[in-house]
Amino acid sequence: MAAAIETRKLTKTYKSRLHGLINVVQDLDLTVEEGEIFGFLGPNGAGKTTTIKMLLGIIYPTGGEGFVLGKEIGDMDVHRIISYLPERPYYYEHMTGLEILRFYGALFGIKDEALFNQLLERVNLAADKSKTISQFSKGMQQRIGLAQSLLNDPKLLFLDEPTGGLDPIAHIEIRDLILKFRDEGRTVFISSHELSEVERICDRVAIINKGIIVSQGKLDDLLSGGRIEIIADDVSKEIADQIKGTADATVSFHEGRLIVDMSDEQDPNSVVDSIRSTKGRIISLTPRRKRLEDLFIETVRDDDASKKKPAAVAAEAGGAQ
Amino acid sequence: MRPIMAIATTTVGEAIRRRVLLIILFIGVLLLSIIPSLSVLTARSEQSTMISTMYAVLRGTSALIAIILTIYMIPNEIERRTIYTILSKPVMRWQFLVGKFMGAVLALGLMIVLMSSVMVLLFYIFQQPSPERLLEVARQPFFYFLEMMLLAAVCIFFSTFTTPLVNFFLSIGIWGVGTVLSPLYSSIASNSGASPIMQSVAKFVTGAMPAFSNYDVKNPIINPGQVIENEQKYFIYIVLYAILYSAGLLVAGMVIFDKREV
Ligand SMILES: Nc1ncnc2c1ncn2[C@@H]1O[C@H](COP(=O)(O)OP(=O)(O)OP(=O)(O)O)[C@@H](O)[C@H]1O
Ligand SMILES: [Mg+2]
Repeated sequence: MAAAIETRKLTKTYKSRLHGLINVVQDLDLTVEEGEIFGFLGPNGAGKTTTIKMLLGIIYPTGGEGFVLGKEIGDMDVHRIISYLPERPYYYEHMTGLEILRFYGALFGIKDEALFNQLLERVNLAADKSKTISQFSKGMQQRIGLAQSLLNDPKLLFLDEPTGGLDPIAHIEIRDLILKFRDEGRTVFISSHELSEVERICDRVAIINKGIIVSQGKLDDLLSGGRIEIIADDVSKEIADQIKGTADATVSFHEGRLIVDMSDEQDPNSVVDSIRSTKGRIISLTPRRKRLEDLFIETVRDDDASKKKPAAVAAEAGGAQ
Repeated sequence: MRPIMAIATTTVGEAIRRRVLLIILFIGVLLLSIIPSLSVLTARSEQSTMISTMYAVLRGTSALIAIILTIYMIPNEIERRTIYTILSKPVMRWQFLVGKFMGAVLALGLMIVLMSSVMVLLFYIFQQPSPERLLEVARQPFFYFLEMMLLAAVCIFFSTFTTPLVNFFLSIGIWGVGTVLSPLYSSIASNSGASPIMQSVAKFVTGAMPAFSNYDVKNPIINPGQVIENEQKYFIYIVLYAILYSAGLLVAGMVIFDKREV
């Protein structure tokens, strides 16, 4: 399968009066396969939006190269088959949802009224057709944004924090829409820091911190090394100590119940056997995948700790103003 | 062409809803409407006073609208991030800039048509001029429209690399030079008695700065003595001048805008 997005050492350096040259994005090597939902994660200011804007040709990289759907970034032909939902988007306030779609449609040369209505339907805005954007709620604005991003039936969508500032119901709506995009064979590139969201829908993720990728891979692989939790009743202190002795596990009592938390690389059967040998009662055995949030915080924190300073290269470049 | 037209019409839609512009427009129309009663009051109902005052109001209001409309156009698009969705579509930056310019020109045209209709109507009611005279009066706003197109091009050119505030003063300055100083300098340039340095400065100003003063066409009502020898030729010249000068500014703006971070 060809890569939908590929970057090699993509770099964006800004000059800042205070800090000299700052690498907002540095030597980014990214590969997004066709047909997957790719999560681009990072804390505030990590360089997510900057990367997306570079991939769209809205701002120009200062180093490296990038390819979108096989063409070098900035290629206008590619713009016909991709789309972009900016973070906190804004649309011309005096227009209605339908007019917005007409406007963006015209930018592609599309004037298919049936398509516009169908898209409004799809994002649940058909009933609000005559409202202007100024009367839209945040969720409605985000949905008209998604409708707008589907006008050209894109192969690849860039969604910059698509659920930012939305309520839980709107979250679910948007999430379902995004999952459908994948079912339709589109590639989706999502930047986000809403990790539970990303965890539910993404196939692969990259974590970026201070402009540098600190982790990249299949979500399943990154989150492997999970844990198993066993809860049991009527277990004596001796058995608990015995379990603690054999398995590499943390063992504790909570309201008379035994709680064993062990790595999923060990066999839980032996623990279960020990508990049952003295008429102990197993209440639950739950495998717990590592959560994306844990991974994210771990990686970002480790990365921050290993670097005292952000990626400032002022001294060596000597280009400070 | 379709993207450009879509951007232009959307720009018009926005422009005619901008409160500041509507207020200026309203004040302009208000001033125009009180001019006839002023001349009644001063008992100077001569056509020339009335019409030259009206022209001045129309021109000043239009220029203010042209500047305020255009200096925020590009910066606002960037600030509100609307430009990102537009540029992520198959729209080149130059198309965006041309669309914005055309929208500004269209909006200016609409507003000038509105003000000049009021003006011509009032002139007709209060002066009962002959049809030829009325036509002469009604013709001038078209030249102001060309002037404002040129001014809009100046502002849009500056807006590709300056902030609105700087742009405001730059554009007002250039318009001032082009309307007030330019005629003065052109007389210096042609005055053989002036020092050579003065003459070359004057030549630069008259040659390189947009000659806005050309669009205040000498009107037989106001300046009975001054007659343009070959009117037709003169009009063709100032129309072409406005179009070519604006196009030049736009091309320069495109080059700058294309390299710029948005
Ligand atoms: N034009 C600019 N000039 C200088 N620095 C900039 C410019 N644009 C962005 N930056 C800096 O680049 C860094 C990354 O910004 P970016 O918007 O890409 O972050 P982000 O990962 O999208 O963050 P968030 O999650 O808050 O949206 C920030 O520190 C920001 O201040
Ligand atoms: Mg961002």
